[in-house]
Amino acid sequence: MVVYVEGVGMTKIDRHYDYSLKDLAANAAFAAIEQAGGVDGIDYLVFSSSLSSLQDNQLDTASYLATSLGLRGIKALNVEAGEASGLAAISVAKSLLESHQADKVLVIGAEKLNEFVSSKVYKQLQMLYDGDTKSFYNIGFAGDAAILMRLYMDTYNVDRELMSYWPALMHSNAKENPYAMLNFAIKPDKVAKSQILADPITLLDSYPLGDGAAAIVLSNKDMSSSPLAKISAIESSTGYGSIELSEDPLLFDSLSEAFRRISNIADTSNLDFIEIHDSFTITAMIILETLGLANRGKAAELVSTGYFSPGGKGPLANPSGGLKARGHPLGATGVYQIAESSLQVANKFPGVKANNAKKGLVVSLNGLGSSSYVALVEGV
Amino acid sequence: MSMDLSISRFWRKKEIIYKLNGAKCKSCGKVHYPPKNACPYCGSRELELVELPRRGKLISYTTIYAIPEGARHQSPIYYGLIDLGVTKITAELTDIVNANSLKKDMEVEATLRKTQEDRDAGLIYYVLKFRPVLVQK
Repeated sequence: MVVYVEGVGMTKIDRHYDYSLKDLAANAAFAAIEQAGGVDGIDYLVFSSSLSSLQDNQLDTASYLATSLGLRGIKALNVEAGEASGLAAISVAKSLLESHQADKVLVIGAEKLNEFVSSKVYKQLQMLYDGDTKSFYNIGFAGDAAILMRLYMDTYNVDRELMSYWPALMHSNAKENPYAMLNFAIKPDKVAKSQILADPITLLDSYPLGDGAAAIVLSNKDMSSSPLAKISAIESSTGYGSIELSEDPLLFDSLSEAFRRISNIADTSNLDFIEIHDSFTITAMIILETLGLANRGKAAELVSTGYFSPGGKGPLANPSGGLKARGHPLGATGVYQIAESSLQVANKFPGVKANNAKKGLVVSLNGLGSSSYVALVEGV
Repeated sequence: MSMDLSISRFWRKKEIIYKLNGAKCKSCGKVHYPPKNACPYCGSRELELVELPRRGKLISYTTIYAIPEGARHQSPIYYGLIDLGVTKITAELTDIVNANSLKKDMEVEATLRKTQEDRDAGLIYYVLKFRPVLVQK
């Protein structure tokens, strides 16, 4: 079943020291509600965040937030799936609509990654990975991705410089996006020279620590007046989420399964654009290859030829600038991706536009694929 | 929060993190680490604990400078993906002279080392890390 996007709202991702999680959430939510024609009919709030309960010492945030937004009395729940929380929340909202538990759902994703010093946040971000082993070590948030990046470069004989075209493309796209945190261009050769986080991953291979919130209003067909877009399908799968357990860590098994599932229920060919989870350069390469948009070991080269760039032959990749340059406020990211994609197919995105975009694929995952979510966003 | 130190968690896991016990599936024969409640490959619940080899080869590795709170004095942190033959594991690497000495296929062995300490309670927590096997000349 299809659900409709009635309105979207986003805050610029930034270091929002002046605003609380609820302030950012309200900013995005009020914009989405206004675009959707007001609060009438909104009967459910699904709130997505990963670290906020820990950071704000707050449980049942969705309910407190509902009341804080002037929506006391509606139903509300929290959804948490690490970095995939945003798309997981939208998936839950879609199920609520399909099962007629809700008629109109407000989905808000909000996160603040600048609430504490970076070393504390690195430790919190380590929670994205399998705590059974990782929690006993001091490896932070980039260690596993770094091991994976070296494995990729060794296995396929890909050099560092070739990997650097992805971050450059993301910055180039983000430059046009008023909501992006890093809206400036960089040259590929800057990437290897930037600060090393976990060799070979540098600062410019990774996402900035940003605060942000995004919101969308979703409805059933019979409730929709003038929707921006429709979400034709969402699918997901769990997976190993671990380099050591996976027999083939250079593909994400959960994404492969989620994509197979969505391709069974919807037409995933002829994509005009994709919004994918490029938490690190290596994550983007593996996603492109898992989806079959690039041959194995060839994604970096394909990116360097301009295949995924504006005007390129392939689907436009991350016109928003992606996690890399738009930013990645964990639990909010999936909601940003759907909001941006809805604006793309409505021809209203205020940044790099995919020409006459009718269809886009959104990919979100946690860590190295403990879960993966995919959504197809189409014009109406 | 998962990374807060918990005495009971370390106690519970002592066979796994100190003895390096993995789990072998009686159904498909595959070994994994750390042991899950069912085999991650075939779903069978028929698992037996097996002591893993304490020596293996580096498949991949990294030198980490983005250090989480509580470990900054240990910077940089070396971390590797290790092939133990029967299975793969990830672990911190130790006794590394410098980042350039890390090489693919390098032989490493398990050794007991401090990972974190809880100053208020006066507790020191140990884990197995892997160090290079010294080559006899």
